[in-house]
Amino acid sequence: MNHLLDLYDSTIMQRALIEAALVGALCGAVGIHVLLRRLPFFTITVAHATFPGVVLAVILGASVLTGAVVFALLLVLGIWLTGVEERLATSTVVGVALAGSFGVGAMLQSTQNGFTKDLASILVGQIIAVQRGDLIATAIIGGLVLATMVSTHKELVLSAFDRTEAQAQGHSRTVDLLALLIVAAAVVTTVPAVGTILSVALLTIPAMTARLVTRRVETAMVTSAAIGALAGVVGLTISAQWRVAAGAAITLTAAGLFLLVLLFTTVTRRATSTEKAVVFPDAGRTPELAR
Amino acid sequence: MFAGIRLITEPFEPPYMQRALIAMLLLALLAGVVGVVVQLRRLAFMTDAMTHTVFPGVAIAFFMGDSLFVGALIAAGTSAVVLTLLARHPRIDEDALVAFVLATFFSVGVIVVSRNRTFTADLNQLLFGRVLTISTRDVVEIAIVCVLCFASLYALRKELLLRSFDPVGAAALGYPTVIIDMALNLLIALVVVAAVRAVGTALVVALLTTPAATARIVSSRITTMMVLSCAIGAIGGWLGLVISYDASIHYDVRLAAGATTVVVLTVAFAAVAVAFALARRRHARQAVVS
Repeated sequence: MNHLLDLYDSTIMQRALIEAALVGALCGAVGIHVLLRRLPFFTITVAHATFPGVVLAVILGASVLTGAVVFALLLVLGIWLTGVEERLATSTVVGVALAGSFGVGAMLQSTQNGFTKDLASILVGQIIAVQRGDLIATAIIGGLVLATMVSTHKELVLSAFDRTEAQAQGHSRTVDLLALLIVAAAVVTTVPAVGTILSVALLTIPAMTARLVTRRVETAMVTSAAIGALAGVVGLTISAQWRVAAGAAITLTAAGLFLLVLLFTTVTRRATSTEKAVVFPDAGRTPELAR
Repeated sequence: MFAGIRLITEPFEPPYMQRALIAMLLLALLAGVVGVVVQLRRLAFMTDAMTHTVFPGVAIAFFMGDSLFVGALIAAGTSAVVLTLLARHPRIDEDALVAFVLATFFSVGVIVVSRNRTFTADLNQLLFGRVLTISTRDVVEIAIVCVLCFASLYALRKELLLRSFDPVGAAALGYPTVIIDMALNLLIALVVVAAVRAVGTALVVALLTTPAATARIVSSRITTMMVLSCAIGAIGGWLGLVISYDASIHYDVRLAAGATTVVVLTVAFAAVAVAFALARRRHARQAVVS
């Protein structure tokens, strides 16, 4: 226990813990939109697309965040302009772009001598190397994203549930773009901490867990943010204790929480399902998460 | 003329380049054929997920000192079964579950690798491959996977096609769709296993997706697509090796051969896609004029 307290004492560890909690909470909240709009594949695609951007930024000496932001924006605009976001999983061009982006990134990095360490840290993250500036950037982007989500909550949720009604109101395309941008912003902020491949974990697993517990969108967002932050802090502590990669430890913590909740809800549901065989939907309330 | 011939023969004088070429050509054949089936089922994202889920098996085998082959085979089998079965879980969204399995399996692999001192170098090797360090034994293993895959594809050709074109019909006729899906996922996993040494788990998805997608633009006949897809993959692999050799010997620029191959394939796809779109537009305009 003493050792654990020592661990929390160091500045580096404190910074990393704050970053993990911030990123976890942000991804948790945004993750509900990822589930609502069925965007897990979009999330994976954005994460892949940022990879060559980050490599290029490191080679040019620019900030990692800039590289990730530029490439993520290019992808979001490309997807939005061609309107493929709804059939992303089956789109050939997106598949080729996803596969090719790792190739471009890996080819770029192979031209640099002694660059391998950075490449690996891009893919699996390096939360322990987080600087003051990174923390501030995460806080600012996170604040902006959350503010946007709160102020446009009604439109975002409406267009996810009832496309026809949203189209009738005339701004569904803009809302779609907004949703994609929100998810892309969350990915871009998360990549330096947990890496390209694992950012998708924080954007789906806490939300999946929250969805098992509640069906109300607002409650799910708060729950999911809490789970994300918890997974970040616990995972990072485990990683520091046993010296394993932080991004992976955070992902596995989130996955463990999900499995626990799944087990728990399955058992309790089975126990109560015999009592309440018929459940009437409550029509007047806020829309609930599908299925 | 001589320069042209030299470009073909010179890079492949060293034995390690010969082994790399044979490995790349075998992989092009394998991924080209399996890629067409993946393309028909539009499974690009499932393929990407499979490449990440095979990773822990490869990582464990790497550190046990055993053949990568056996470990990766076990991981491939497990992840194919898990992904296929979980994708049918009624209470949870399929996309989200694929993301869940992808991230969890990949994390296990990263943790295994990160326990080691040479973490980043190992991770790089497993994710992006080292085609120039391929041994004769690796080439033989790739050849075995090729034979295995082609045999199962041939045996299952009717079921796989029916499942692709008429999923409802296949289920109604009583075909076990779960087993067919699992078989295809297992085939994808096998390709990943074969390709680990050469291009790594992160780049193999390009071998499976891009040549088949390019072939699909040109033709819609399955046999033609398979032949084209293999040919495109083979030319891409050869060009990747030649460019990477030429750049390092004559221009002193280091280019990873596997990554260069992927970039060549991606550029080829883009060129063919643009060329066909332009040709189609011109054709349509002429039709309107006449």
